[in-house]
Amino acid sequence: MRVAAQFLLLALASGASPAYADWQLNMPRGVTEISHAVFDLHMIIFWICVAIAVVVFGVMFWSIFHHRKSRGARAENFHENTLVEVIWTLVPFVILIGMAVPATATLVKMYDNSDAEVDIQVTGYQWKWRYQYLGEDIDFFSSLTTPREQINNEAPKDENYLLEVDNPMVIPAGKKVRFLVTAADVIHSWWVPAFAVKKDAIPGFINEAWTNVPEPGIYRGQCAELCGKDHGFMPIVVEVKSQAEYDQWLVDTRAAQAATAAAASQVLSMDELMAKGEQVYNTACAACHQVNGQGLGSVFPALKGSKIALGDIDAHIDIVVNGKAGTAMQAFKDQLSAVDLAAVITWERNAWGNNVGDKVDPATIQKLKEGAE
Amino acid sequence: MPSSGPSFFQLVCSVLAAFFGVQSEHNRQRDFSRGSAWPYLVMGLLASGVFVIFVILLVRWALSLAGA
Repeated sequence: MRVAAQFLLLALASGASPAYADWQLNMPRGVTEISHAVFDLHMIIFWICVAIAVVVFGVMFWSIFHHRKSRGARAENFHENTLVEVIWTLVPFVILIGMAVPATATLVKMYDNSDAEVDIQVTGYQWKWRYQYLGEDIDFFSSLTTPREQINNEAPKDENYLLEVDNPMVIPAGKKVRFLVTAADVIHSWWVPAFAVKKDAIPGFINEAWTNVPEPGIYRGQCAELCGKDHGFMPIVVEVKSQAEYDQWLVDTRAAQAATAAAASQVLSMDELMAKGEQVYNTACAACHQVNGQGLGSVFPALKGSKIALGDIDAHIDIVVNGKAGTAMQAFKDQLSAVDLAAVITWERNAWGNNVGDKVDPATIQKLKEGAE
Repeated sequence: MPSSGPSFFQLVCSVLAAFFGVQSEHNRQRDFSRGSAWPYLVMGLLASGVFVIFVILLVRWALSLAGA
């Protein structure tokens, strides 16, 4: 009784809370021509299922009721009826063909990857996405920005909790955009419900998908293939801009990437490196090594007091830049800029009481990165 | 109609009935009481080949409708 009352209270509370005001059971209709076609298909098949259920259960319940024992019903005793068998084989056949015709029409449209005006390579990483605009010289990573305090219930959650990233994918409105989806480590899946695009990202394979979003806006999605510890923490954000704004974004992003590369030659003070390093650490490293640097169990080692963070600086740089084969430690040389890498290594050597006192210059990292290419 | 084995029409009807998954008890008795299984096996393989070709043509036709 008390449990029931609590449950009712919970149901009422969640119903009244604005966060749940727009909850829905049905799949979203989406914003593209394809997503509308998929939604219509879903509804057609739903209503076919409803009709089948009404007929089948109607006949079944009527039979049970009409032939009940109290009315003296007796079971028929025949072995087969070819006509009835032919009918109950033909009817599902006709229904399935009826479903296959519109489904095939939609699938053929979905798989038509030709004549795209923008090509973006989407690569899944544990646990972030990388977007490379082919032929545009634009390449960046997109990581979760929801603060760890919100995830750990130490702060109230934002509206876009776990659905916000530092660098969203940007595409032009009204243009056919092709996604070449792959992965760098394990299988992920790039899913944006509003576009009706969900494509497996498989290492060594390139899957294609496309969309054409008529209206500018911000659309959010998630990884849809269980890919490890932070599977739920690698959201997708796509910003659809008008052609003019998109062109401007291309120019700005190219300039920003050039500036980042140029920044590798600058010399930063210890304070600057530490401030930047903490920020980078919390985005790129804290998922495994934790904000407090104490790691997680035996899989993700602690950095606080660790041999690498306190030991030879070149070995420390090497493991961050190139990763460690056979472990979850990935190579960060493509993911982070030289400045970010220098800052985060400096932070790891001097945070949480690791007071080694030395700092890494971005130029050192830049040399390593260039040597690797 | 030769009394030793099934007629060609019967053979086709029985194989199609097997493809469809429904056969009357009367025809089943008839098929199992006359001749050998070979004509049915050969006709079954032929019909399978025809079915595969039919599916290939169907897919080509559907794709040509889509302009692929």
